[in-house]
Amino acid sequence: MALNLKGIISPYNALKQAGRKPHTVQYPYKKKEAADRYRGFHFNDIQECIGCGTCSTICQNHAIDMIEIEGLEVGPGDSGLRPRVDNGRCCWCALCVDSCPTGSLSLTKDYLYVSEDPNSFLLIPGIDNPDGQNRKSWISNGNSLLDYKRIPMRELEGQERVKSFAEVVLGYNEEEARTEAARCLGCGICTENCPVHMHIPEYINAIARGDDKMAVKIIYDNNPLGETCGKVCTRRCEEICAFTKRGEPIAIRWLKRYATETVENEKMIEEIVNPTILPPNGHSVAIIGAGPGGLTAAYYLAMRGFNVMVYEAKEHAGGMIMYGIPKYRLPLDSLDKQIEYLQSIGVEIKFNTKVGKDISFDEIRQHHEAVYIGIGFEVPYKLGITGEDASGSIQAINFLREINREKHIEIGDKVVVIGGGNVAIDAARVSRRLGAEVTILYRRRVEDMPADWEEIEGAEDEGVIIHPQAIPLEIITDENNKVKAIKYANAEMIPDPKGGRPRPKIIEGDEHILEVTTVIGAIGQEADYSFLPDDIKEKLEINRGRIVVNEDRQTSIPWLFAGGDIANRRADAIGAIADGFNAVKGIEKFILKEDK
Amino acid sequence: MKTQNINIEKEIATEIQNTFHTAEVNIKRNKRIEVKLRNDLIPPFLSYAKNYLTFNHLAHFSCVDWIEQNEFELVYIIYSYEKGVIVLAKTRIDREKAEFVTTRHLWYQAETYERELHEMFGINFKGNDRLNEFILEDWEGIPPYRRDFDTVKYATDNFYTRPGREDAKDVRENVTKINKEEIPEFAKEYSVRSLK
Repeated sequence: MALNLKGIISPYNALKQAGRKPHTVQYPYKKKEAADRYRGFHFNDIQECIGCGTCSTICQNHAIDMIEIEGLEVGPGDSGLRPRVDNGRCCWCALCVDSCPTGSLSLTKDYLYVSEDPNSFLLIPGIDNPDGQNRKSWISNGNSLLDYKRIPMRELEGQERVKSFAEVVLGYNEEEARTEAARCLGCGICTENCPVHMHIPEYINAIARGDDKMAVKIIYDNNPLGETCGKVCTRRCEEICAFTKRGEPIAIRWLKRYATETVENEKMIEEIVNPTILPPNGHSVAIIGAGPGGLTAAYYLAMRGFNVMVYEAKEHAGGMIMYGIPKYRLPLDSLDKQIEYLQSIGVEIKFNTKVGKDISFDEIRQHHEAVYIGIGFEVPYKLGITGEDASGSIQAINFLREINREKHIEIGDKVVVIGGGNVAIDAARVSRRLGAEVTILYRRRVEDMPADWEEIEGAEDEGVIIHPQAIPLEIITDENNKVKAIKYANAEMIPDPKGGRPRPKIIEGDEHILEVTTVIGAIGQEADYSFLPDDIKEKLEINRGRIVVNEDRQTSIPWLFAGGDIANRRADAIGAIADGFNAVKGIEKFILKEDK
Repeated sequence: MKTQNINIEKEIATEIQNTFHTAEVNIKRNKRIEVKLRNDLIPPFLSYAKNYLTFNHLAHFSCVDWIEQNEFELVYIIYSYEKGVIVLAKTRIDREKAEFVTTRHLWYQAETYERELHEMFGINFKGNDRLNEFILEDWEGIPPYRRDFDTVKYATDNFYTRPGREDAKDVRENVTKINKEEIPEFAKEYSVRSLK
């Protein structure tokens, strides 16, 4: 009988498994993690969350509340509230996660929870379970129910634009506007950044529901120049839209433009807005400067029964929105329509009346109980380089004003614009339309430019050359004192040790000469207070060229109110409108209190 | 390999189109064909698909509420093991008079799907005698899967709110407080969030 060796050895084969990890429960005991698709408690990234409350609104079980969190510090663009979930009601459908615009909310795999205390089922995600971050299961990513892409705005092609002053932006049609408006979540966080706090979610919702007239009525509640803002607003509201964290913000400006453009003339505005005008109360207010701030103040004062007189130095109302903004951004007929409406409800404007020249400030003071100054910044800063007074060296706002008056200005075929703000871009784009080759010299980088990025892009599309980090040194003139060329130096950016924005520093020897026919300076403006009598100027508190005002836009002289560029640093139309709007409350308080 | 598969779908789609001229046939993607039909053609189509095109498996039967058009869309999802292709047979019926014919004679499990749709959408399937109570107990009022059913209202009416939730705030209202914004009365009804 042969020895069956295999039969003896094979059981020992099992020994080779001795060193391997057993497939049984581990010791010491380790809690097993749930599978990735399990849904349990919510987790909320408190820093990412902006408290828009969409989760609370969408919840079909009414399980989510928005509550104030103690010690939570929030900046603008945040409601200051955070969600709290009643897990006794939650069904883990994750609609809240799928509709979270910032993506801060998610579900974790913590689905096992036992407690005898029913109140412990009320959980503030992210605060009560900060470690939930590592156990997320259902997160909001590609499965989001929201629409992050905005409806693109149709525009004229760059090469087509430079042929005329036709409006560049074509505006939404009805279908586009309804679709865009339907994206809005209605949280209203955007209104925090609007200086006048327009009722944005309400009018967007009116557009989404197909009620354009109501949208216009809501817009006119605190902004009588809605169409202007719809075209040229700096739209800080869009910067903090709930969608900005992960997608494109709602086109708030274009929707306002759409709604206000559906109204064809001033009579229709009056029919739609149907303002309640109080009977005359016998008080009288003077407004100096028919800019957006002055017109706003005049409109709401007239509605409250005040006798309002606006003194305007020029032949047309609108201030900077008339003379500073080129017509391809804000056509004249659109502005006329808005101003005619203001006049139709009782705003009186005295044109060609410069205070200090045609009428004295003291005379105005004698006839009116309160005065609002909204004169804006009209005097341009000088470049401070040699050759600046040569013929062919002009200032951007003077240039834009004359062009808007349809006057002819000879600029030749090579223009250089100095500056990086909206005025500089406007001057450059206007010069392109007059047929010149345009270069912008800006001392800092393109990303430091204070101008709107859309404006910068628009200028580039139209063939404007932007030369950043270039500092002008001298304007070279010919024997007739006419501009021939400009000498500039390239600069490097030096980081600011104090943490401010980097400063440009000239690179020695890196100097260039650019042959030009016209130099347009656009490095800022300041106010001209020369019309004010000396005693008033002494009493008035002026800080760095701006009049100091309180919340009611009241200056250190009780009967004198101020707004717009001379009082705020925003340097835009909506900032001036907000000043005008708030000054009305202040003026009303001041005059009617005196009455009692 | 992929091109071969697309050929199968094209073949099936052409065959369906040739038999049902009014059908709207789309190849949605690989192995998925959508067939939109007039509602009276659904029984003959399903019978034809099952017996001639080997789609002998009813994978699912569901419904979509198109409240804006006042219609229900019935979706039969059928599958052929032989061809490895899914067909979505869709048809629209009137929402007011929600009635259709049963397909129980083709697939017995259709009876249970129809029972569910009867309960959740309120659709009556003629020929199905087992449309009795299914999941919901003693349900009164409109069927819950209809879009005009207000789920939040149902939840708040029927389940009390736990004590300790009284400090809840409205986001829009909170923002207006931060802003000192005054929303006029006529605009308030356009607030998406409730303004208490």
